[in-house]
Amino acid sequence: MDASTLTLHVRKNGAGVGRLDVMQMLSGVLLIVFLWAHLMLVSSVLISPKLMDAIAWFFEATYMAQVGGPLIGLLIFTHFLLAARKMPWRASETNAFVKHSVMMHHKDTWLWLAQVATALLILVMASIHMWVVLTDLPITAVKSAARIQSGTWLPFYLVLLPLAEIHVGIGFYRIGVKYGYITKANRKWYQRLENYMMGGFITIGLITLIRFLFLTV
Amino acid sequence: MSRRLHIEVFRYNPLDPNSEPHMQSFYVNEYDSMTLFIALNLIRDEQDPTVQFDFCCRAGICGSCGMVINGRPGLACHTQTKDLPDHIVLHPLPVFKLIGDLSVDTGTWFRDAGARIEAWVHNDHDDFDASAEEVRMENDLANDIFELDRCIECGCCVSACGTARMREDFLGATSIARIARFYLDPRDERNEENYYQVIGNDQGVFGCMGLLGCEDVCPKHIPLQDQLGIMRRMLAIHSVKGILPKRVLDKLKHKGCCHESH
Amino acid sequence: MQIIYSDLLCIGAGLAGERVAVEAAKAGFNVTCLSIVPPRRSHSSAAQGGMQAALGNAIMGDGDCPDIHFADTVKGSDWGCDQEVARIFADTAPIVMREVAHWGVPWNRVEAGVHTYYKGGKPFDAEEKRDKHGLIHARAFGGTAKWRTCYTADGTGRSVLNTLDSMCLRYEVGIHDRTQAEALIHDGENCLGAIVRCLKTGELKAYLATATLIATGGYGRIYRATTNAVICDGGGQIAALDTGLVPMGNMEAIQFHPTGTVPTDILVTEGCRGDGGTLLDVNEYRFMPDYEPEKAELASRDVVSRRMQEHIRKGLGVKSPYGDHLWLDIRHLGEKHITTKLREVYDICTNFLGVNPIHDLIPVRPTQHYSMGGIRTNKDGAAYGLKGLFSAGESACWDMHGFNRLGGNSLAETVVAGRYVGKKIVEFLQGHTVDFKQSAINDAHTKVAARIMEMTKSSSKQESAIQLRDEMHSTMMDNVGIFRNGKDLQAAVDKLDELIDRSKSIKLQGTAIGFNPEISLALRIPGMLKLAQCTAYGALMRTESRGAHTREDFPERNDKEWLNRTLAYWKDGETRPELKYEETTPYFEIPPGERGYGGGKIIAADIPEEKLQVPGKGTDKKKAKQTKKAS
Repeated sequence: MDASTLTLHVRKNGAGVGRLDVMQMLSGVLLIVFLWAHLMLVSSVLISPKLMDAIAWFFEATYMAQVGGPLIGLLIFTHFLLAARKMPWRASETNAFVKHSVMMHHKDTWLWLAQVATALLILVMASIHMWVVLTDLPITAVKSAARIQSGTWLPFYLVLLPLAEIHVGIGFYRIGVKYGYITKANRKWYQRLENYMMGGFITIGLITLIRFLFLTV
Repeated sequence: MSRRLHIEVFRYNPLDPNSEPHMQSFYVNEYDSMTLFIALNLIRDEQDPTVQFDFCCRAGICGSCGMVINGRPGLACHTQTKDLPDHIVLHPLPVFKLIGDLSVDTGTWFRDAGARIEAWVHNDHDDFDASAEEVRMENDLANDIFELDRCIECGCCVSACGTARMREDFLGATSIARIARFYLDPRDERNEENYYQVIGNDQGVFGCMGLLGCEDVCPKHIPLQDQLGIMRRMLAIHSVKGILPKRVLDKLKHKGCCHESH
Repeated sequence: MQIIYSDLLCIGAGLAGERVAVEAAKAGFNVTCLSIVPPRRSHSSAAQGGMQAALGNAIMGDGDCPDIHFADTVKGSDWGCDQEVARIFADTAPIVMREVAHWGVPWNRVEAGVHTYYKGGKPFDAEEKRDKHGLIHARAFGGTAKWRTCYTADGTGRSVLNTLDSMCLRYEVGIHDRTQAEALIHDGENCLGAIVRCLKTGELKAYLATATLIATGGYGRIYRATTNAVICDGGGQIAALDTGLVPMGNMEAIQFHPTGTVPTDILVTEGCRGDGGTLLDVNEYRFMPDYEPEKAELASRDVVSRRMQEHIRKGLGVKSPYGDHLWLDIRHLGEKHITTKLREVYDICTNFLGVNPIHDLIPVRPTQHYSMGGIRTNKDGAAYGLKGLFSAGESACWDMHGFNRLGGNSLAETVVAGRYVGKKIVEFLQGHTVDFKQSAINDAHTKVAARIMEMTKSSSKQESAIQLRDEMHSTMMDNVGIFRNGKDLQAAVDKLDELIDRSKSIKLQGTAIGFNPEISLALRIPGMLKLAQCTAYGALMRTESRGAHTREDFPERNDKEWLNRTLAYWKDGETRPELKYEETTPYFEIPPGERGYGGGKIIAADIPEEKLQVPGKGTDKKKAKQTKKAS
């Protein structure tokens, strides 16, 4: 040990920063899984409204909706707080980033702006959605269909659905990149996968919405 | 083929109170095998001797001539005009301090970053025995280390980084890849905790948002993306040691990546 | 004016400069490095090949030892080197390679087992020994008896420079980049530092130091076609020459490389010709067999360069906006060979020339590559004429290269000399104090400031620095190239006389507040012209052919009259250098003889018996050698 290594024992970074990063990643992963599962369950109405009702009944009977619902809300909020550490809250930061994106013509850079924008909208819209659904349990296909057919809710979901899927799709890709699971070698493949998944889920979601629109209440 | 190139150059002299940032147009006749190195020198020799830009090796090895070429950071010396449209727009690299026109101060930035991450092999240097045989090393490992040592510090990756543009204290892909180089090197006696202390924060590896601008502009094709991933995973796992079971962590550590050497 | 004090001032922060800096910093001295560019951009970084050191680990270098390396070096120099220095070099090189390995250089290592290598386009097999596995490997280079060149892939200079720069960071060497030393501060006896121009602001500063090292590399930029970086303008040599006290050694010894590409002068390896590439002229006619029926393209580097030059002069070169050139044809080697064995060449052609060598011809011309000459120093690296002034690396004429340097020796010299001279500087600093005279500082400052003032303000002057540079380039390329003769050299000397005179009337074309890039050139041009004149005049006077210095009118190596070293002084106010000559070497460990390649007649010298003795060694030498091997 000499002068240049003398200060190695001085701890500057606590484990906290790393843990926050892990939590951001984990909360993200959980939400991705949740959202995809959620979409699958709702789209069960395509097979039969009865199936959807049965699934909803199961979640309620096991109290997963009553407890799980608010927990997911909390998870969304936590994830937002963690991810917000990276958001460009200062005008100078936003400015710099927008200028940067315009300069670079670089897809991955633009996608981050998309993620920030969708995050803010999702935070508001998902809260409304959860409030409406969770304060009016039980969930049934007929109730959902009535909401969609009432007029104002259709545009609401037509916006929320792609927002959520885009956010989740990009998030999935970016977690893979940040943690080194998506590498130089397989990046192209994952980019394609990301696009297919986003497209696929949005399509399923749209068909589900259409189904609700034409379901006899 | 001879085209007449319209080259727009960013002009600003921060030392001159009357100077305002603006774009200046130059016109140059294109020849075969013309690079931006040749075009810019023609402009300086024949049209305006005060234009500031940096070239040194003019062979893509030294990293002096990083600049923003039609929106993308790159090396001017190995950019051929025939690959560009008639209209070429040149800006200085953002993030770095502007010296004048296309010239920026990368030297100070990189030295500062090097000092922050303690970019040298940490061992007892006086331990060297002139009469002894060198410590042996596998050739593959030597090649892996050199792969990361090829960085020419041109600054393109930093300029292409969204995080670096927003937050000036971000160390950038180049510094993290530099640490990865020492992490690979058995001669560096630092352990994971030591590395965590230099880049385990939001200015370092956890500040990266995975936009991959760095990866996409690196003129030397250094595997920045993979190294960022390896280092982030290693240090993230390090931070949760003792919380998650060791078995799980070990499993996560060695999954899905090509350049694992430890 | 800002004044910055340090114990050691290194002008230049390439491999040699940083290696010296590390040595002094490790010894506890305060060191400042000046560099035109950030240190890692120094031209050392461009060296791809490797460093020669007799480690003898590779099977093709089996049995190698410093004695063989020494012999190769002396032969390579055409007996123009200082043999005492070449001996120091060959003996220390292996230690230095190991030392930088300890500091972090990822040398390529020996891998036990069979590998294939190519020679003359044909594959051969070699089997590395098991007990050498993991030790520093070596590759083949021209002019060596053994495989001796340590390397890290295709970036030896890069990796060693990175390592040394990291050591400078570690030992807190002050790095002041974007600075250009314009003049040395001296009191006629001691060197006290330098007047330095900041390339960010244009400001002049005084850097005072007990010891000053010049390690600014070569002066290849006096030629138009050079592989040297644009910063290799001989700044260090100019500052030393301008004192009038410090001589330049062997400035006429300039090495050319046959296949620099056009227009950017990036080298393509000799491997192209080795593997069967041919040279074609404007009519796409293969001309080399006409000149060299036996060896054709495979003749030695200087012979091929000379023939190419000759052919271009006959008007058979290809005209281009960048000057005349010839073609290198490797198309017949096929895509597979080009993209694997010659991948570097393929990359250079596609990245920098926009030429695809699989289908197209590569434009090439002989290109200035290395300057053996420079600031003459003694074996300790101390410059003649001023106390406290040192030099190392390509900028110096330490003189282990003589009239021709071997590939891989120059890169090794930077760190080997850096370490050796560094230690000598530490000794010097430990036992030396100096008075910094205010008058000396003011004198030096006034001179530089006045020059800048004149070229900015004066209305009676009108010479353009760019114009002068272009004329110098043409003269040097046409008349002081590879093939030299009395008539052309005289023409060059006369032309340079004229240019030097005109360079007193340089007037800036543009104005800029703060840093003005034109001033950098304008300040340099008069000095570069002086270096060019030292080269041309030295070449004119040296009426023999030795190593890279080839006179058509004096084709033989004349040991009888020219076994000496040219020293060029430039007294203040003079229009030409004053040439003096000194003995090549204090003693001959290997007496002058045949090189074994390149051919040519030799006029033998009578060397007195006592000159053939190695002082202090005598009969003990064999013994010493044996113990060395045993260890």
